[in-house]
Amino acid sequence: MMKSVHNGRLLFVASTLLLLVCAGQAASKQTPKKQARLNPQEQKVIKYLVADWGEDYSVTSVDIAMAGLKMRQSDETRFRIGSHIKAHPELHEIIRRWGWVTLVLTPDEKLIARTLINAERDRKPEPTVTEIAKAVGITEAQADRGLSMLERYEILQRAASQGAGYKVVPRYIKWEPRLDFIFHKVSLDSGRQFNTN
Amino acid sequence: MLLVSSKLANEKVSIDTSSPEGTARIHVVFEKGKVATADPASTILFMGGG
Repeated sequence: MMKSVHNGRLLFVASTLLLLVCAGQAASKQTPKKQARLNPQEQKVIKYLVADWGEDYSVTSVDIAMAGLKMRQSDETRFRIGSHIKAHPELHEIIRRWGWVTLVLTPDEKLIARTLINAERDRKPEPTVTEIAKAVGITEAQADRGLSMLERYEILQRAASQGAGYKVVPRYIKWEPRLDFIFHKVSLDSGRQFNTN
Repeated sequence: MLLVSSKLANEKVSIDTSSPEGTARIHVVFEKGKVATADPASTILFMGGG
């Protein structure tokens, strides 16, 4: 009888552990939707943007805010901050009015997206990484990084093709009502930089 | 354009942008509200929106 109870407890503990492991794996697959809290430096960028947005028609993007705060630029940090903005439209009216895309992508990433969108919309062959790099005026390595970032933001999806290997998520084929892939970066002699709509 | 010709009319303002749908980059410098340089030179500026 005692042995049966003991075995039952062991089975219960093992099942619970298995459930916890499964839950942990599911949570990690959902990143960045359920991402960890931003660190203090990343939170500074959010504060900077929330204070800046709307001033002088500002729709300042994450990369410009990071430069303004003299933070080291990294795709990973930009992605974490960008994902936070994407998940929190309640932070500012500018996110709700113009969309999160224009606020989180760099000019290079916006132009890379346009090369693929224009080709798909005009029913032309998907450009290769070399063609994208040439069209945007960047290196192939930079084009690869940009494509990867657009995939992480779910603007592009992997697809078997003769081109770069991505297709545009349908929502972004017609993007003009939003500011998604527009940028107007303003630089003043004082050193201030911001994007306008 | 509204900013350049009003609030920032006394400043030197550089703008980096692109053609509306293409991938060509545009760099324009305004001084005292007027275009000082534009690259490429064929850049056409217009005010408006919608």
